[in-house]
Amino acid sequence: MMRFLISRIGQSLLVIFVVYTCTFWLLMAAPGNPFIGEKQPPPAIIHALKVRYGLNNPWHAYWAYPWRVITHGDMGPTISYANWTVLDVIRSSLPISVSLGALALLIALWLGVALGILGAVTRGHWPDLTLTVGSLLGISLPSFVIGSILLLVFSTYWALLPSGGWGDLAQVILPAFTLAAGFLAYIARLTRSGMLDEFSADYVRTARAKGLPPNRVIVRHILPNASLPVLSFLGPAAAALLTGSFVVEKIFAIPGMGEDFVNACLDKDIPLVLGIVMVYTVMLVGFNLLVDIAYAYADPRIS
Amino acid sequence: MRRVLIIFSLLLMLIFVGGFWISGGDAARSRAIIFCQAGQIHTLDPAGMTWMQDIRAGLALWQGLTQYDPKTLNPIPGVAKSWAISDHGLTYTFHLRRHARWSNGAPVTTANFIFAWKRMLHPATGAGYVEMFFHISGARAYFNALANPHAIPRPFSSVGIKASDRHTLIVHLNAPCPYFLDLMAFPPFFPLNQASMARFTVRSGHSFAYYNPRFTRPPNLVTNGAYRLTTWKFHQYLEFKPNPYYWDRKAVRCRELRIVSFSDSLAAFRAYQSGAVDVLSFVPPEFTAALLRQQRAGLRHDVHYRSVFGTYYYIINCTRAPLNNVLIRRALDLAINKRQIVDDVTRLHEKPLRVLVPPGTIPGYHSPHGLAMNVTEARKLMRQAGYPDGRGLRPLKFLTNDTDSMNTLVAQAITQMWQRNLGVRIRIATEESKAFNQDSVHGNFDIARAGWYGDYMDPTTWLDLFRTGNPNNHSQFSNSQFDELMHQADIEPNPARRFALLEAAERLLVDRYMPAIPLFQYTDGLMYHSREIGGIGPNVRMITLLQYIHWKHRPRGGTHP
Repeated sequence: MMRFLISRIGQSLLVIFVVYTCTFWLLMAAPGNPFIGEKQPPPAIIHALKVRYGLNNPWHAYWAYPWRVITHGDMGPTISYANWTVLDVIRSSLPISVSLGALALLIALWLGVALGILGAVTRGHWPDLTLTVGSLLGISLPSFVIGSILLLVFSTYWALLPSGGWGDLAQVILPAFTLAAGFLAYIARLTRSGMLDEFSADYVRTARAKGLPPNRVIVRHILPNASLPVLSFLGPAAAALLTGSFVVEKIFAIPGMGEDFVNACLDKDIPLVLGIVMVYTVMLVGFNLLVDIAYAYADPRIS
Repeated sequence: MRRVLIIFSLLLMLIFVGGFWISGGDAARSRAIIFCQAGQIHTLDPAGMTWMQDIRAGLALWQGLTQYDPKTLNPIPGVAKSWAISDHGLTYTFHLRRHARWSNGAPVTTANFIFAWKRMLHPATGAGYVEMFFHISGARAYFNALANPHAIPRPFSSVGIKASDRHTLIVHLNAPCPYFLDLMAFPPFFPLNQASMARFTVRSGHSFAYYNPRFTRPPNLVTNGAYRLTTWKFHQYLEFKPNPYYWDRKAVRCRELRIVSFSDSLAAFRAYQSGAVDVLSFVPPEFTAALLRQQRAGLRHDVHYRSVFGTYYYIINCTRAPLNNVLIRRALDLAINKRQIVDDVTRLHEKPLRVLVPPGTIPGYHSPHGLAMNVTEARKLMRQAGYPDGRGLRPLKFLTNDTDSMNTLVAQAITQMWQRNLGVRIRIATEESKAFNQDSVHGNFDIARAGWYGDYMDPTTWLDLFRTGNPNNHSQFSNSQFDELMHQADIEPNPARRFALLEAAERLLVDRYMPAIPLFQYTDGLMYHSREIGGIGPNVRMITLLQYIHWKHRPRGGTHP
């Protein structure tokens, strides 16, 4: 177990290092100068700004940057939002993306499991068929289509919910459902098929033969076994949802990290891009590591 | 198993509530006017302001020696209550108001201006608009000496900026500058409160102090304009409240102003339609044509739209063959149906242009004629140049940026006209804006899209772009006759004679040498309901002076009818 842990952590660190290196190489290779706008300042000004942001440093200096971040707790200033440091930007936008993702995952999990059960018990009848079609749509429609439809219905036609922004609970509902939709549909499918597999199992027949009410059979006996695939899906789902979604944030005008990231790339804001890529990478690698450890813990065959 | 699910869900719940609690702004808006800008604020340090949204916020927070008249945009007294200009227009003596105060109550003095201007003139400050200071005598030499590590630094006393006392500032210019008072209202010339910035000093050198940009964030920022900055939530909103010490505070009628921005213009428009935003600083480009149609049909009255002080044009790389041949450049201009572009492609019915400086915007300046469309003449010129019907001409590289989908449409329409009328083949290269800017600077194109909004009400804001050696001269046009006319205009003290020289210079550009092809005058606008909001309006320079904005009447419920 110990050896497994050490090797997995080593691999994760390697992944982070490679991602970081590729990112700054790509950033340096990308065309464009962050300090040249439509109006060009004198060369002396561009030079001074390059010095301030360390863009004149040799490329291998970038490898020292993570070390500075760890030892000083400082990720330096951003280029495009000169009054804010990289850390300021992440501190303000990460909680937004993470909390929206957490809510979306909650919705996807509970609604998905509930709808999956409904589909399994009404197998072949109209609720099941509706759910099958619905989940197919949920999985295949991209979030900008789902988001636009939700906006059209709940914000434009019925004016029930605000069209975007952040700070009010009502503003969170539509983006959370949009973000959840695909995962919800997938979890519902996983639950439904898991339940159907178990329906014919011997222990279910025994439970029924004992005279247990159907609800109890489903909740106590079938669900724990049927939800195993759902549990293993939660790791990647959490990683994907908690890191935020650029598309959903843009449609609903949510000041999250996805939007900051895309803007930073367009502005060639190298410090900000590096900072956000590192946060994304550490989160993704961290979640995967946690999932692997959980598996190893649950299954003694992995070691 | 169930325990795992429940713990996991509780954890998610905790993350959601925690994250929401940390990040949630207060959505309460009370009587605040919500003003939506097209982009996020990039900086509130006046030295770094070059973006429209930064300048707009800067003009609300600070005040220069002069300020803009809300109607005419001519410079009127700001911090300076009066000034005297010497006979040759070379010396300006400004008399500062004794009642001018910073938002912390301290008086605004000449020392605040000298501190800010000296900081602007240091290359390490990284001020994008530093060249505006080069009208001041000795400023360019002072800046260049600091920028060159081998040069001997010059003392600041060599620059023509002097204070004879706390309330009298004297500025000497190199040459008469008729728009100098106009510049005095612009952010690079704002004063700064040195005392409040001192504790943000990062390092202090011989003549340079670098300030941690945190000085621009509330509650640290001290300003001298109509408002003070009370809240700034990154990426969410800025909150302005009236500056209690502002000398003209009675003129400030808005008690709370919030500035927001959406990166998606559709999201911004939705927010405006639902009443979550009161003023849009732009008309969403996707809908402009449709909104204007509705307005003309009387279905809505909230689109405030007009021609502005900006030109949409194409520049031609004058150093590369075959476009170093002026005959082909002329032919390219003659072969474009500009009316068709504004009627059928942009569909905003902008004014087609034959000249670079939008005619009628600068009082006293008479624009030259420019070229009218004439395909026969264009074909003749192509034959003269040795490329009858475009035979033998290599495909030309057309460079455009993707900031606005309209750019590509206009380019396609025009290249089609060139192909059909002249047989000229064009390869369109669309690039994202940072790459586009770099390729423009390096002359990596044959023809490129360009757009320019005038910074001050003078023809030189355009004509300077074609002077030899100007870093913004992307067409790399170099003509001694033009440069000589511009130089004569620089030193000409008589305004009428100066304009005549500039007219002659522009005539060289648009009638003879064609380093650029003017297409149309930009239009721009705002969206707001004039029954509810007063004190703003679209003006020719699209400078929205937020200090005059106010509620006229607010319908109950807060939504727009």
